[in-house]
Amino acid sequence: MNEIPLIFFLWVGAFLFATGLSIILIKRNVIFVLMGVELMLNAANLNLIAFSRGDDQNQGLMMGLFVLVIGVCEMSIALAIILQVYRRFKKIDIDQFQSRN
Amino acid sequence: MIMNSPLMIGFLALTVLTCGSAFLMLWTKNVLHAALAMFMTMLGLAGFYVLAFADVMAVSHLMIYVGGVLILILFGIMMTGQRTSKTGQTNELFTEQKGRFWAFFIGLTVFFGLSWLLGQQDFYAFSDMDQQSKLGRVGLSFMLEYSFPFELTGVFLLIALVGATYIAKNHE
Repeated sequence: MNEIPLIFFLWVGAFLFATGLSIILIKRNVIFVLMGVELMLNAANLNLIAFSRGDDQNQGLMMGLFVLVIGVCEMSIALAIILQVYRRFKKIDIDQFQSRN
Repeated sequence: MIMNSPLMIGFLALTVLTCGSAFLMLWTKNVLHAALAMFMTMLGLAGFYVLAFADVMAVSHLMIYVGGVLILILFGIMMTGQRTSKTGQTNELFTEQKGRFWAFFIGLTVFFGLSWLLGQQDFYAFSDMDQQSKLGRVGLSFMLEYSFPFELTGVFLLIALVGATYIAKNHE
């Protein structure tokens, strides 16, 4: 018995998820919010990998690899959109977008 | 005892690195410092993947996040004009924060709620953990039972890259 207990990985994952959520809520910069989203994505991924440790079919590991690819696609598209928003409005604060009610 | 094994000591060191840098990301107002902290967090996460016997994941995570996403974020910071701090120092990129108390409260609630919820469960492993490299089996899985999602991911990646290039183009 020389393995780390599963619950330790889950605690770290929970901490990263909560931190990412707080970053999304606090920060007013879109790039910062995107970093928080990445943190939450990786917290979920850590859980998948930790559960996949005791599975001889590696289902969590495969799912984690797919999540990685989807996360990168999301990141590249989001940064392209942020760039376009900056070109149009010269600012990337979240508070600048207000609905016209 | 499990607490004294070198694996556990490594795990604790990685926990300090990862959670400390994640908290630094939350604490700092400087976008560049946050990008650096995210780099450290990703390094720690790759270490966690190694400790969970997922070497393939660790290597691809390092390559993609440290090599790709971080450069992308740095380009994003560079190409969008960031506000400098009120002291006027040009190297200090300043981000506004709002609703600190509620965000902190919600974060703490989520953390303790998740910890409590996960502590309630009784997880068990399907099989013994093999500590060999999983590279060969991952490659076989990509070609056998996950071949359709694999191809789909390739097409998705191509679409995302073309779309990102088109969106980021100067449309004037």
